[in-house]
Amino acid sequence: MDLTPMMKPMNVAIIGASRSPGKVGNVIMQNYIAAGYEGKLYPVNPNADEILGRKSYRTVLEIKDTIDLAVIAVPAPIVPLVLEQCGKAKVKSVVVVSGGFAEVGEVKLQDRITEIAKKYRIAMVGPNCLGVMDTRAKSDTMFLPMKKISRPKVGSVSFVSQSGAVGSTVLDVIAGEGFGLSKFISYGNAAYVDEVDILEYLMNDDETKVIVLYIEGIKRGKEFVELARKLTKKKPVVVLKAGRTSAGVNAAHSHTASLAGNYAVQEAIFRQFGFAIANDLSELLYYAKIFASEVKPSGNRVAVITNGGGAGVITADEIASSRYLKMADYAEGTKKALKKVMPGLVNIANPLDLAGDADANRYRQALDLIGADRNTDMLVVIILYQTPGADPSVTREMVQKKITLSKPLLVISVGTEYTEKQAKLLEEGGVPVYDSPIAAIDSLEALFEYAEFKSRSSTR
Amino acid sequence: MPLLDYMQARKLLDKYKIKSIGSAYVNSAESAADFAKGKRIVLKLISEKAVHKSRAGLVKLDIDGEKEIAAAYDDLVRRGRMLRPYKILAQKMADPGVEIIIGGNTDAQFGKVLLVGLGGVYVEAFKDVQLRLCPITKADAVDMLSELQSRKIVTYDGKAEDEIVSLLMKVSKLLTENKKVSELDLNPVIVRQDSYEAVDIRILT
Repeated sequence: MDLTPMMKPMNVAIIGASRSPGKVGNVIMQNYIAAGYEGKLYPVNPNADEILGRKSYRTVLEIKDTIDLAVIAVPAPIVPLVLEQCGKAKVKSVVVVSGGFAEVGEVKLQDRITEIAKKYRIAMVGPNCLGVMDTRAKSDTMFLPMKKISRPKVGSVSFVSQSGAVGSTVLDVIAGEGFGLSKFISYGNAAYVDEVDILEYLMNDDETKVIVLYIEGIKRGKEFVELARKLTKKKPVVVLKAGRTSAGVNAAHSHTASLAGNYAVQEAIFRQFGFAIANDLSELLYYAKIFASEVKPSGNRVAVITNGGGAGVITADEIASSRYLKMADYAEGTKKALKKVMPGLVNIANPLDLAGDADANRYRQALDLIGADRNTDMLVVIILYQTPGADPSVTREMVQKKITLSKPLLVISVGTEYTEKQAKLLEEGGVPVYDSPIAAIDSLEALFEYAEFKSRSSTR
Repeated sequence: MPLLDYMQARKLLDKYKIKSIGSAYVNSAESAADFAKGKRIVLKLISEKAVHKSRAGLVKLDIDGEKEIAAAYDDLVRRGRMLRPYKILAQKMADPGVEIIIGGNTDAQFGKVLLVGLGGVYVEAFKDVQLRLCPITKADAVDMLSELQSRKIVTYDGKAEDEIVSLLMKVSKLLTENKKVSELDLNPVIVRQDSYEAVDIRILT
């Protein structure tokens, strides 16, 4: 199913647009205007001539243009009628924001609108959803006021969420992250367009480099598997699957049956096809962040550079106890060169403790040499900004290095106001920042596992 | 879902070159003793009504000599009264090794699924298993083992790992090619340095 008209609409009809502030149809209109959407906007409302300064239409059939996207925000019982009109008007795609369907037991009503969408071959997302957002197209069907939920900047991560509530929460958090967003799709009841259609679209979407997926249930198992086989060969997918506890309740005929409940099988499928599995919402974001940095590790050897001994040890512990990563052992040449440039109090080892007085210059020397070390595949740099030498010039060094380095690089930085400010600058410069060694190393491991999966599946 | 007859199940494993321990049905203590030929054996009661054989006292391990065999046989017959119809299976006593479980199941949504984990009595206790959708690749099999918590117990050396990897591939093939096999338990499979043997087989069709 082609979702291009939905994601990149040349024009948008808002059916159920309203003059009353606070109403869903009013918020959606306002958001389109505030976001600076450049296509044509057509409010549709049988009782209005003008809404928010735009000419309003009684029905979608009155509009002369062929509509790419119609956002439907009318009470559930009216949706079939409105959708039928969209079909007759040859609308290419619709987002049904309205709730009141299968989620409250109105299965027949949902079946009816699905039939209509199928009959006219309209790509229909929803019902009962937030809909879609495309940061480049400045198209955003969400009915959440801008002042309550920030909109992310333009980026390369696309986020798919079955749940609207999880979707909007994560979206709000993504807005605070440096990596930005390409597309957001909340597909609600998945009456017609479902996760398979959406993932297939994103697989072929050049603006999407990383897919983040929150999913509660897979509707079409076989199709999902077929797609999964291709999808992760092209781009990384981070997944959070809810519904762990409903697994394995059937009376079992064998040991295997009791251990292979549907949840366990879905998790196995994600593993088998190289999805990065997150266990909670924060992991979802941690993983998204490292994948968004778009650098692939060529091995599992990690070097740690720090200006605090303790933090270095904690991080080294995490690496040593992780399943797939290990601490790098620098090549002899690297050791010699480090010894030459580092002050005497710096012990040449991994982790490399640059000492509490480390400044931008020392960080740069260490980064240059270890970045070029042939026994190092990934770099973890700990910057404790509480120390005297760590200041914005260290931040600038990191951003510089990130541009030239072809190995994965992340920063661990823990602190409040001053640190947060530097962390934001780092992230804007494309350097992923983590506030805990565990989160950082787990993310790095997810990145490594995906790289392994990819090189393995390309040689199959 | 009927249980496939043990000897038929064994035959199916043979077809895929999956090794299982020497077994035969016996209908008397004498025939059990004949099967033993002076060596140590195992007697098992097989019934559709019994999944947890050891827990129900339906497995007599490591028995030896006419007297011991007769006592074990009679006890199984006594326990079997509630579990009719049943059969009594005599098996050679496996040499010690690491016990693993290899299983297959049919997921209503996704189809055939393969399972591996630490076996025997540990299956229920630790539930340390890995699943994959069939058919699996060799890399999938390697992954399944490396993702087990008990990987260092299960694959204690490279040779054992190779054995299990090739066994997993064979079971995946069996599951994929036999639509009628809906569930399968090889539990335990006893793995030794240079070989393995499936010691108990349950196949549901």
